[in-house]
Amino acid sequence: MKRHHWTFAAGIALALASAGALAQTVIKISYQPALYWSLPFYVANEKGWYAELGLKPEFSTFPAGVPQIAASASKSWDVGGAGSVPAVLGAVRYNLLTIGITNDESYANALLATGKTAAGFVKNPASIKGQTIVLTANSTGDYAVQSCLAKWGLKKADVTFKSMGQAEVISAMSSGNADLGGLWAPNTYTLEEKAGAKQICSGQDAGAAVPGALMVRADYAQSDPQNVARFLAVYLRSWKWLNAHKTEAIAMMKKFYAQGGVTISDAAMRKEFDTRPTFDLAQQLKIMHRPGANGASEVDGWFANIGAFMKANGTFADAPMPSKFITDEFLQMVDRDPKLKAFANRAD
Amino acid sequence: MAHDERRRPVWVGVATFAVLIVAWFALTTWTSTIGPGRFPSPREAFDALRQIWVQGYADARLPVHALHSAKLVLLGFVAAVGLGVPLGLAMGWSRTCEAFANPTFLLLRPIPPLAWIPLAIVWLGLGDAAKVLVIWFAAFVPAVINSYSGVRSIEPHLVEAARTLGVSRRRMVTEVLIPGALPMIFGGLRLSLQACWTTLVAAELIGAIAGLGHVLYQASLDLFPAMIVVGMVAVAVTAALMTIALDIVERRAMPWRRA
Amino acid sequence: MAQGLTLRDPTAPLPFARWLALTVAGFLAFFAVWWAAAASGLAPPQFLPSPGAVAAQFVELTHTPFVGYTLQQHLASSFGRFALGFGLAAAIGIPLGLMMGWFRALDAIVTPLFDALRFVAPIAWVPFAALWFGTGIGGPVMVIFSGAFPPCVINAYRGARFVEPRFIEAAETLGASNWRMITEVLLPSAVPSIVAGLRVSAGLGWQSLVGAELIVASSGIGYLLVRGQANISTSIVMSGMIAIGLVGFAIDIALRLVERRINRQRGR
Repeated sequence: MKRHHWTFAAGIALALASAGALAQTVIKISYQPALYWSLPFYVANEKGWYAELGLKPEFSTFPAGVPQIAASASKSWDVGGAGSVPAVLGAVRYNLLTIGITNDESYANALLATGKTAAGFVKNPASIKGQTIVLTANSTGDYAVQSCLAKWGLKKADVTFKSMGQAEVISAMSSGNADLGGLWAPNTYTLEEKAGAKQICSGQDAGAAVPGALMVRADYAQSDPQNVARFLAVYLRSWKWLNAHKTEAIAMMKKFYAQGGVTISDAAMRKEFDTRPTFDLAQQLKIMHRPGANGASEVDGWFANIGAFMKANGTFADAPMPSKFITDEFLQMVDRDPKLKAFANRAD
Repeated sequence: MAHDERRRPVWVGVATFAVLIVAWFALTTWTSTIGPGRFPSPREAFDALRQIWVQGYADARLPVHALHSAKLVLLGFVAAVGLGVPLGLAMGWSRTCEAFANPTFLLLRPIPPLAWIPLAIVWLGLGDAAKVLVIWFAAFVPAVINSYSGVRSIEPHLVEAARTLGVSRRRMVTEVLIPGALPMIFGGLRLSLQACWTTLVAAELIGAIAGLGHVLYQASLDLFPAMIVVGMVAVAVTAALMTIALDIVERRAMPWRRA
Repeated sequence: MAQGLTLRDPTAPLPFARWLALTVAGFLAFFAVWWAAAASGLAPPQFLPSPGAVAAQFVELTHTPFVGYTLQQHLASSFGRFALGFGLAAAIGIPLGLMMGWFRALDAIVTPLFDALRFVAPIAWVPFAALWFGTGIGGPVMVIFSGAFPPCVINAYRGARFVEPRFIEAAETLGASNWRMITEVLLPSAVPSIVAGLRVSAGLGWQSLVGAELIVASSGIGYLLVRGQANISTSIVMSGMIAIGLVGFAIDIALRLVERRINRQRGR
């Protein structure tokens, strides 16, 4: 990576930007509808914060992380958010860089059981042996489920996995055709509230950190680094605002989730905020900081585990080195530019 | 000249494929015009084929996937033909039957079989039954329509003649109606089989333990273009083999058409 | 698909009153079975809503947005994709089929390729479609195209191949160029076959669209189905199915009218 080039170009661009007379540049942003970490994209657009930094966002949404990653190959988008498993896949297949963390969703990726079986499985986790678990293979939900199994001393071979989309997992469990399933929020809440299922183990319970990733296409990062930094600043500001204005935030979340066809209770939405920590600029820089030349950051450790999980799944022969695709370069750019830094830390 | 049974020279076909394969090498391996993330090189495709043939991929080896898919197609196909052909014949023969059955048929026919998948899961679960139901929907419609048209296309004076000769109802069905409608019926079966196959791949894309659609689904989750190509080729080859098998049955069933 | 059931000339038509009574009875029987199955508690109403509940949901979807849009808007977005994929298939497939019917060399080159590709189910293109064209417009359009393309080619080809030889001879003696031969002799004679092919093609294209949207889209009627499913709302799923059916039916009727009109004109 030619870091000094980026920095140089960014310097010029930011100098121009602060000189005023900012032209609106188009940036193509991708996300998945009705997810907690997508909410900032929606809020920022409603509030006009992209425009404030001279960005004109063009959104594209995807039903799942993998098609989203695949679409980066056709340059359908420049920057975006996704789960950490798709982010690693994207790093291996299409040179996607991870440039920030959307949220810590360890609690939101979980193993659920139907209402009538949950108590039994919780009391005696060993009874899960021999069961069928429905889940979306190669997803953060899959990662959480396998971490839970490991916590109980079970192996992948002890159970039968059936892979399908989240909608099918919900159908299968709500109709009693499957007792155990791996899901992520808000699907977990849909299943709990509308079909009486119970969350029996989350990634958090199993000690598995499941981050969400902010990504950029490597060639876009090289050609338009200043846009990437601005994109990050907008995202960070959105979380600041959302966390400072809970009531309004819940109202917007309700609207945003409904657009994605998800209708869950206010309590569940509040729970999303309470169980999924987000990171402001200083915190992002801290967890992504690499001590020394060869040191690993906290985030590196999380992604190394996820890479190992995907390798064990047979997705690729060698997991990528976190230092090859995770970079805090753009967060640093935000941090160095007083105007962007102030913008990113605004809570109004 | 546009009329006589033109023989396509075999060498042209062979040459076409040879050119294509050379082009494939040229665009991927030699010049990298098409990046490995977009389309695999022949080498990668071969490695993927070896992987699925030797070690297996998506929980099973290639023949297991193919057989599983073929079994489901056959189940759905036989069930659809078993119900669809008699219904079509009855609707073709009896106006009363047609008028009564037609509304249901009109209501269900335009709904694509794939749209039944969500309902099939909640009604029948995740096993093979749900997939067979979806496949059944796909094959049922062409089976009925073509049997119906087959009966209607029988020369009326043939039926008249049989009637004046006072043949029994049973002989009317077995010796006049079925043989007369058979060519159309087989046309319908061919469409049915193709529809079954298309639908199965989609049904398996949505979740299964084994099957060629499952291979495609898994390969798309892994973003593994070489395996996607292997899966697509396997789908095509299996479908072609089944069509050939149906051709053989057709020729056996209608020996008089051989000339 | 093949021929419609009711449009064929009846050889021994029923008296109208009797036909009407039977048809009405047929409709009633269908809904009675559905209603009875729902009322019997065979499946909980969550998974098998009654006809009334579905009708109410259907009406609601037409004015209250679900997943961001109303039912009509979802259908419009799907139909746009369909029109693009189908239009492309016709625009490329028909000329290709005609030329294959005329130029022997082209026939020899394309046919083996075509036969090989024909057996790949359109849905199997979904993973590559996403990879090459994304999942917005391009990917689904490619899947629709792969479903709708073969019947366009095959029927144009057949139509061109079975032109009366005397027309071709006549044109040849008049020294018609290849271009004029194709546009003025082959095309007009192949029209009935082409239109029949278009009907099959439209049906397959519409089905492929639904498949593509079920798997990779984030708008359109197939997406509505998936989100309805994810929200445990069978009545939304069934409303979506009905809407898909109605549009598919309308497309078929429209093409059938075109077909009848053309056949009538040529009959004279």
